[in-house]
Amino acid sequence: MPGLLEGVKVIDFTHYFAGPYCTKLLATLGADVIKIERPGSGDPVRSLPPFANHRLPGESGAWFLYLNTSKKSITLDLKSEKGREIALKLIEGADIVVENFAPGVMERLGLGYDNLAQVNPTLVMTSISNYGQTGPYRDWKASEINLYATGGLMNITGEPEQPPLKEGAPLAQLGAGQNAFVATMTALFHAEDTGEGQQIDLAIAEYATNVLENALMQYSYSGVEFTRVGNRGYGRAAWGIYPCQDGFVGIIAGPDQNWPEVSKIMDSEELADPRFASRQGRLLNADEVDALMLPWLLEHDKVDIFKAGQEHGLGFSFVAGMQNILEMEQLVARNYFVDLEHPIAGVLRYPGPPISPDRNVVDPWVYRRAPLLAEHNLEVLAGLGFDSRGVEQLFATGVI
Amino acid sequence: MSAAQPLKNFRVLDLSRIWAGPYCTKLLADMGAEVIKMESLRVYDSHRGPVCPAPGIAAYPDSDPGEEAWNRNGWFNCLHMSKYGITLELTEEKGCRVFEELVSISDVLVENFRKGSLERLGYDYETLRQIRPDLIYASMPAFGNSGPWQNYVAYGIGQEQLSGMAHMTGYVNDGPMKSGINHGDPITGSHAAGVLLAALRYRRRTGRGMFVDVSQQESAVALIGGEVLGYQISGQEPERMGNHSPWYAPHNAYSCAGEDRWLTIAVTKDEQWHRLAEAMGRTELAGDPHFLTNEARILHRRELDQIIAPWVADKDMWDLARQLQRLGVPAGPVLGGPDLLVNEHYVNRGTFNYIDHPRVGPKWYQGFAWRMSGTPGQVHWPAPTLGQHNRQVYGELLGLTDPEMDDLESSGVMGTKPTGSRII
Repeated sequence: MPGLLEGVKVIDFTHYFAGPYCTKLLATLGADVIKIERPGSGDPVRSLPPFANHRLPGESGAWFLYLNTSKKSITLDLKSEKGREIALKLIEGADIVVENFAPGVMERLGLGYDNLAQVNPTLVMTSISNYGQTGPYRDWKASEINLYATGGLMNITGEPEQPPLKEGAPLAQLGAGQNAFVATMTALFHAEDTGEGQQIDLAIAEYATNVLENALMQYSYSGVEFTRVGNRGYGRAAWGIYPCQDGFVGIIAGPDQNWPEVSKIMDSEELADPRFASRQGRLLNADEVDALMLPWLLEHDKVDIFKAGQEHGLGFSFVAGMQNILEMEQLVARNYFVDLEHPIAGVLRYPGPPISPDRNVVDPWVYRRAPLLAEHNLEVLAGLGFDSRGVEQLFATGVI
Repeated sequence: MSAAQPLKNFRVLDLSRIWAGPYCTKLLADMGAEVIKMESLRVYDSHRGPVCPAPGIAAYPDSDPGEEAWNRNGWFNCLHMSKYGITLELTEEKGCRVFEELVSISDVLVENFRKGSLERLGYDYETLRQIRPDLIYASMPAFGNSGPWQNYVAYGIGQEQLSGMAHMTGYVNDGPMKSGINHGDPITGSHAAGVLLAALRYRRRTGRGMFVDVSQQESAVALIGGEVLGYQISGQEPERMGNHSPWYAPHNAYSCAGEDRWLTIAVTKDEQWHRLAEAMGRTELAGDPHFLTNEARILHRRELDQIIAPWVADKDMWDLARQLQRLGVPAGPVLGGPDLLVNEHYVNRGTFNYIDHPRVGPKWYQGFAWRMSGTPGQVHWPAPTLGQHNRQVYGELLGLTDPEMDDLESSGVMGTKPTGSRII
């Protein structure tokens, strides 16, 4: 069965996290994605550990394997005339180009939007960068932590008396990558409707500002700055992460009409005190409420607490580690994970589709393992009319 | 005159509330989709806040809920601009008939009710498909539409925990930490928006609509899937490393001059380390074997912090950020609300939108999530007040007559004043 995006052709100049997540979504929804990598070393995310089977960097890094499923890999020296020519030929027949070089790099390679639009006027070119293609910080260097900081998310994460805290996973880059996927689809509609291509300029730092929600609005509306509040929800009590017997759980004490359930679950008459009945009342007595919940929490396991809350209509949760996730009964029952075999990394269990379109209509997630570096050189170049001698020559001259 | 917008041909009937669903339809509305946000007067979107909130809550202009507080909440108003706002009671027979007419002219229906809520009102996918054969129906309960947890509920804060994100976030030797937002919501909203567009494109080619099952949890796990593979490979749960990185050092937030001012520095290449050593006036460190390679720097990351922290401590975060950027060293100050809205870069790029809302006055809002060279995003109007577009949608779009609409109003099937609210 085809995927939703069968027939869409994407030329992928991305590396690390943000760009590859965008093209992973396109590829695994069925688009034909050709990833262009630097000869020899490829996408530098190939070098980030851990590496499966204790192999050397290159083919078996966890994040590389995950972010590049269902893509084809070819190597191309974009600084060589021949390499650029091949890239342009591929782009000529494509619907979409995605890149996340520093602003200006594609232009210097002779692959800026203006050049590409000449060979393919309907092309959608999605450019993802740290701070965007314009503005005073356009050329600023950044890593995830810097973008989490300048985008406003870090300031509000962590304890008030401790340093602002970044997320463990690169959420700014990955989030920007998924928004880039939405942007790309949007522009694809316009291109197909009108024949007009265009360039998308998506800044990772702006992704962070875009999801600040009330943390920004509160300041905008009332001038009251949103601060770090540790593990308690902002302006809330009995709302956040708490320790329990075997780990940590998420307690959600709302809506108000459900609060009596909490005292029932925790078998505590004291928690039923009318002083705690409203959100405002709990906030005024936050420490007292915590102290009353804690003994019960510390006597119970995280999954039991989660289910006790859920069975009473409360949105409790628990802090899951990776092993918990792989074993989670809900994910297992929904056949969420997909086993993929890779010649070097072996068989690993991959998270499945983030969203599931109807299996009766399409293949929701066209899943193939990540490509080896240059694995599809022959196939792709043959499609451009190169015979084996031509390919050998490109290899000998370092173009591929 | 407004330029063409790419999604102008699509109509989205949006029954979603809070953040995940509304972020999905905000991305679509910003790009021109006609989004009709439908609320109930009894159970309106809880992001509007209580009918009579306590004074002093900062989500309202000048912390004053004022009159019609439900139309003055920044949480709500930042997510619904350019959407049509209507109200309708699906528990009333008359409401159902109007709803079915709306479904019949919509391309997409989005809801994030608890699983089965719409079904209990008589509207499962099969029924909706009778009304609109090529409908794309996105149902977004917390854990998806099947499995043992299908009736469970969860909010964005819970999805950070159940997806593993919270587990790997936190200070060294301390417990897991929630983020300052609820990442689970926009992550689901964005994934859903993209897949809905892919489904619309598929429909355009084949004529087929479909049911789209959205599990907010699966969406969150998918985003950080590299960690799920990493665990299988290494056998190690991801560590809570504070602001350190498993891949690079030095990598931290360092305290600067002033109150709660911090500069993040992340060195990912040898060259950047040499430049940082030079900036510190400690060129001898560049050749120090403890710091010679990235691997060595990771091993001695605490030593590096002890060298860098005192050097940063008395400096202005902006001066130092600019100095390090001139040298090509990744550095960025930690910015809060007041910094962001006046920041030279964001001002220059028009990152935030200044929008005049009739019940609020002009305020700053989050802008468009990306720029498009040919079809830039547009704000057509501020977030709708409760039921603001009832007459427009029911009258102009569905062709209901004034007496018919008067009747819907007098029988409480639609209106502009809440009759209740259930706030989480």
